Amino acid sequence: MNHIPHNHACGNTEHGVSRRQMLGTLGGAVGFGSLLQPGIAAEIKKQHKQVCLIWLDGGMSQYESWHPLPESKFGGPFRSIKTSIPGVHFSELVPETAKIAHKISVIRTMETKDPNHSTGVPRIQRGDPIDRGVIYPHLGSAVAKLLGPANPNLPPYLWIKPGNGGFIAKEAGFLGAQYGTLALGDGKPPIHIHRPDGVSAEVEAARNALRLKANERFKAYRGASEIDAYETSYAMARQLMARKEIFDDSKMDPKDKERYGTHPLGRHILQARRLLEAGVRFIKVNSYHWDTHGDNFNMSQRLIPQLDRPFAALINDLEDRGMLDHTLVIVMSEFGRTPIINSRLGRDHWPDCWSIALAGCGIKRGAIIGETTKDGAFVNGEGYDIGHLFHTIFTLLGLNPRKTRYRIKGQKLAIAHDDCEPIKEVMQ
Amino acid sequence: MRLIIFICALVPVLVGWAAEHLSPRIDKLIAAKAGGAVATRSDDSEFFRRVRLDLTGRIPSATDTRSFLQDTTSSKRAKLIDRLIASDAFATHWTDRLSVMLLERQKLGKITDEEWREFLAKNLKGKPRWDVLAQEMVGATGQGDERPAMKFLGTTDHHVMTENVARLFLGMDLKCAKCHDHPSVNEWKQAHYWGLFSYLNQTKTATNSKDKQTYLVEGVAMKKVDFQSVFKTEKEITGPRLPGGKEVAIPAFEKGQEFEKPAADGLPGVPKFRPRELLARDLTSKNNTYFVRNGVNRIWYLMMGRGLVHPLDELHTQNPSSHPKLMELLMREFVAHEFDVKWFVREIALSESYQRSSRFPNGVKKMEVTRYRTAHPKAMTPEQLLNAVLKATGNEGWVTKLKAMDNAEKFDQRGYFTGTNREMPPSFEEIRALFMLTYAEPAGTPEVDFIPGLNKALFLMNDRLIQDWLKPQKGNLIERLTKLETPKSIAEEMYLSMLARLPEADEIATIANYLERNNKRRAAALGDLAWALLTSTEFRLNH
Repeated sequence: MNHIPHNHACGNTEHGVSRRQMLGTLGGAVGFGSLLQPGIAAEIKKQHKQVCLIWLDGGMSQYESWHPLPESKFGGPFRSIKTSIPGVHFSELVPETAKIAHKISVIRTMETKDPNHSTGVPRIQRGDPIDRGVIYPHLGSAVAKLLGPANPNLPPYLWIKPGNGGFIAKEAGFLGAQYGTLALGDGKPPIHIHRPDGVSAEVEAARNALRLKANERFKAYRGASEIDAYETSYAMARQLMARKEIFDDSKMDPKDKERYGTHPLGRHILQARRLLEAGVRFIKVNSYHWDTHGDNFNMSQRLIPQLDRPFAALINDLEDRGMLDHTLVIVMSEFGRTPIINSRLGRDHWPDCWSIALAGCGIKRGAIIGETTKDGAFVNGEGYDIGHLFHTIFTLLGLNPRKTRYRIKGQKLAIAHDDCEPIKEVMQ
Repeated sequence: MRLIIFICALVPVLVGWAAEHLSPRIDKLIAAKAGGAVATRSDDSEFFRRVRLDLTGRIPSATDTRSFLQDTTSSKRAKLIDRLIASDAFATHWTDRLSVMLLERQKLGKITDEEWREFLAKNLKGKPRWDVLAQEMVGATGQGDERPAMKFLGTTDHHVMTENVARLFLGMDLKCAKCHDHPSVNEWKQAHYWGLFSYLNQTKTATNSKDKQTYLVEGVAMKKVDFQSVFKTEKEITGPRLPGGKEVAIPAFEKGQEFEKPAADGLPGVPKFRPRELLARDLTSKNNTYFVRNGVNRIWYLMMGRGLVHPLDELHTQNPSSHPKLMELLMREFVAHEFDVKWFVREIALSESYQRSSRFPNGVKKMEVTRYRTAHPKAMTPEQLLNAVLKATGNEGWVTKLKAMDNAEKFDQRGYFTGTNREMPPSFEEIRALFMLTYAEPAGTPEVDFIPGLNKALFLMNDRLIQDWLKPQKGNLIERLTKLETPKSIAEEMYLSMLARLPEADEIATIANYLERNNKRRAAALGDLAWALLTSTEFRLNH
């Protein structure tokens, strides 16, 4: 890029955002919905855009999934199978997705920079923007900030992950803790959204009425924004408490459970669907232990079907519900895996040429993008860096990454890498 | 004749008083820019709770509030302020405030939290001087009594040091100026960043082979640092230079002549030219207006809830003080009083501007926060909140004494929040940690403005510690209330204990009504009533 960007400012958001916006994710922000001018169709449509990021932590092998090359020297033992797109093959480990390949796109020429987990995960999830000495938000926090909540009663950014959950601020980077994520440990919400033992619904209502009465009195002669912000945080808390059934997996249809799978990734993707239906703007679903340095093929045989079934089910369900048009689904990792099979029958980290799958929200149906060398080891021509993907995502969400800027203390910061462009080939 | 003598005797007193006391001069300059009616003076309850929170970090007990309300001495506010500032609680609370402001809850370096806190508290018990504290922190070597001050620099990352010194002691958020002149603040230049950097870039840690302690030492500065803007093609150079100051020449010594003291005990030789020591001296000089303004602004913020310049780290001419004349006066007086933090805090507390009610004056519905026409409600800090919850519910005594068994397993904090750990936290330390996890900002983030959040609201609403503390036990508030008969006595005890004020008639009626409707579950109903106050805005804010 040869023009000097004027948007090189940096800083943080500690100040200068309105109190209501300040509530952000953790407060279940109320700001953006009400700021939109009513009646503007495009704006309303933007409000409905949602994202589900399925993150396979450690890195999934492209050879055993979206880009099988069984004939090549790097191919590995698995066969490739036909997909619903004539002439396109996936690995036999993704038979369900193969049936719906015409509904999704695959980019086979991701070419990113970082071969390390510790730096790669945040680097990829932040979109690897130009370094301005500040810590950029992860994608979910960015979307929470830029689009706000889709349903004003629900937090915009939830993260379903194995292990523990809680309120996790650090993903928000310079946006500030309030744009962090509410993580659902093994799909469970924080304990505090439950009414405490021994407090009946009736008592709960009665004591909140007492609280509101006290607040009304205090507020009557005062006007500080702190007062509104504090009250709003309680209103949000009560709304989330009232909707806690959306987290309750005992309420899930047994047939759905069977279709998605009873393993954690299946359950979590099913839960993601339910939360998307409830109107959560951005959901990240994490699966761990994809780092197959040893025994890649047995591990892939076990792991990849755990993605295949629920991913295909999710795409089908979103389409059946008329949601696929406004819901972007992304399946990715911090990198792919090496063409070369190491002495432990493993594949190591490979950012040079790897694959991701995308669907919905303006992603082409059935597009398989990217030329690689014959053995799949390298990109043939131009690859796509993560910055290109972020431009694509933001564009599909109705933002203009060339123009939209984070405004921090009156300064402007690009939301994605200045030198990248959307990947037009994958967009409708 | 007698009258004349009397007046003659009075005039010098009045003049002397006016020259000495800052608080009426603060009020005059605030009044000059008020632009409308100001709030009435706070009533005794409002003042008592506020000044206790600001000076000692604690809400008052019901007993203390009652006796303050009954005290008819006209100078009782001034006396209280003096007593509180002289108390150990002042030192403890201001240790919290300064520590959170300067370290931002980071775990830094080899100095323990206890050593650091002891160092600050010792200062705060005596005559804490902002310039001396800053000098000790920036110039810290780890030698002598001031050893804990080295925690401030904490790291050997010279960029972090540069940014922290600029932001916390000069009010300059220079992070952007590392790579180029600041994009929107015209007066913040890249040269400012690198000028400060070159005072600090010789600093490193070294371990004394005898006492095994780590020290901060300086290497020999040989040359200026060079830097280049990402938007320019040519390089620039600078030696040590303070914003607004002159560049310090780096002296050249003949080889072998650079050191004042030779290397010993594993520590390198002490160079004759020690730029960080010069920084500590010149940064904190009374002639460094950036430093003085920043100190004034931060202490003003701690008392008033808002800086005269806000945000605190945006001290520059494009973001001027809301009250430039007042800022000038405070800077002059702060210097004249040797940067005495206690003196300054006292003068603010004595001012009518501080002592105003947070309620709007009659007929006013809205006003600009920068005018100080009402008291600005401040969110309690996480530390204040924990203290206040325990004290209000009357559980402070036993909870603060809770200790884990020696062989106790590590308490699973994350599991506590997700529900996989159903245990109660075994110690006060763990309870404190749960509060900090919920209410404190992540380490490294300034805690300046109030950021409420869903999780914070949910904690006070539904946490099981809170529910437990609202059950009658161990002489706590609810147990005391169960022994009271009339709604009025119950309401008074509850409001005095939790909100440091007497209830109004309608509030007593609400309590009477609620207890009557819940007469079969009286203790639980008292818990509900207390819960409603604990989760109320009035409780959460220091108003």
